[in-house]
Amino acid sequence: MENAIEVKDLHIKYRGLKKMSIKQSLAKFKLNRIEVFEALKGVSFTVEKGKIMGIIGKNGSGKSTLLRAVAGIFAPDEGTVDLKGNTVSLMSIGAGFQTKLTGFENIILSGLLLGFTEEQIRKKVPAIIEFSELGDFIYKPVKTYSSGMYSKLSFSITAILETDIMLIDEVLSVGDIHFKEKSSKKMHEIIKDDSKTVMIVSHSMSTIKELCDEVLWLNDGVLMERGDTETVTNHYEDFMQKLGKK
Amino acid sequence: MKRFFSNIKKYYKYAVYQAKAELKSEIANSYLNWVWWFLDPICYMLIYTFIVEIVFKTSEPYFPVFVFLGLTAWDLFNRTVTGSVKLVKNNVGTINKVYVPKYIFLLSKSFVFLFKYIISFIVTIALMIFFQVPVTWQVLNFPLVLLCLYTVAFGAGTILLHFGVFVEDLSNITNILFRLLFYFSGIFYAISTRIPKPFSTIMLICNPVAFCINQFRKIFINGVAPNYIGLLLWFLMGCALTAIGVKLIHKYESSYAKVV
Repeated sequence: MENAIEVKDLHIKYRGLKKMSIKQSLAKFKLNRIEVFEALKGVSFTVEKGKIMGIIGKNGSGKSTLLRAVAGIFAPDEGTVDLKGNTVSLMSIGAGFQTKLTGFENIILSGLLLGFTEEQIRKKVPAIIEFSELGDFIYKPVKTYSSGMYSKLSFSITAILETDIMLIDEVLSVGDIHFKEKSSKKMHEIIKDDSKTVMIVSHSMSTIKELCDEVLWLNDGVLMERGDTETVTNHYEDFMQKLGKK
Repeated sequence: MKRFFSNIKKYYKYAVYQAKAELKSEIANSYLNWVWWFLDPICYMLIYTFIVEIVFKTSEPYFPVFVFLGLTAWDLFNRTVTGSVKLVKNNVGTINKVYVPKYIFLLSKSFVFLFKYIISFIVTIALMIFFQVPVTWQVLNFPLVLLCLYTVAFGAGTILLHFGVFVEDLSNITNILFRLLFYFSGIFYAISTRIPKPFSTIMLICNPVAFCINQFRKIFINGVAPNYIGLLLWFLMGCALTAIGVKLIHKYESSYAKVV
């Protein structure tokens, strides 16, 4: 099988690039005291095309950072991320919409950023509008939306404009009970699709066990274990229990 | 630099669509909608004409056209450059979701302002006809001057875009500096006649806005050739600023998402 994602020796550092005012930077003239926090310390792995990779680990272990690095939002400080030319999208809470613009325009803009042509997007727009259940609201500015409508639209865009690689950060369903069921069903459909490569970050072990072919376990930015779902989740749960007893 | 051009090519459509959508949303939410694009510069022109001609009792030939040329060029420059300071912050949502070269935001914003500039150019022509300004072939130099002004604005914008991410109160400083620059750019007075000799030449050469405004007036009002060498030099300067800004952005843009 060919690989869809190849990550080699990935380091991500949060450098002392803190926001500061001019007064502060003049007061602390010694700029040498740069705090470096290493969120990922040399992680390497590959994901085969069509596989579903789960990522587990306690809070602050670098899971979301890893997803963002794969999505290209952070460039690696060291190491490489190779997506073999696949398109990629990241699904997470609070999608970036331009609130002054209409839902329709936001669909096109999001699609263009994901690497689709305008023609491809326009073909899929009716499906997105239908799935999001927004109706005529789609032609109103996003700032007039309720938070539920907002997340429905955001979900629909990513779910219908399927990219080759989908990165999912805890978002498997959104909205009210009815939409939750629908979106969760759609998500499972996409995830199970053999042509899609998926990476899921989740704290829900049942979700991971149900969906994933393989699991990565991250701890403090280091890859602890990678292997089949059953073994790794068991090791992780043992580890977390021990941590709880201490 | 190669990366810059391939990115521009790749995201050009996004920038254009974004600019169009923004212009559309602007007119969708106001009563007089697109009339504002004409009304706005005309009102300011009237205000300055009132202040200078009636309050200060001075004037320049074809004063309304004179002010208008200065004011619209200033708007293009000012909006592009000062707007870029908060550009990354205003697009946090997008930045946290997907990779975009950050100067694409600036590109799309500059398209919006360029469009407004073109509209005000139509008004300029109308004003010139109304005040019967003699027109010469020199007006054909218009795109050259505009290109020069735009390049400098874009270059300065890319640099401020980068620093605007890390320095939180940068917009306070740029606002003050740009207020100063506004009065130093000769928007409602002619630098060459109102300011004593060595200083006026320095101001006209070293301040890109004053320089470009002066060239606009030369070709539209005086009907003389612009300073081609100066235009070329400022254009190259704009390219250099863009190169520096783009390099800074390429180097640090992956940290932006961590800071904002």
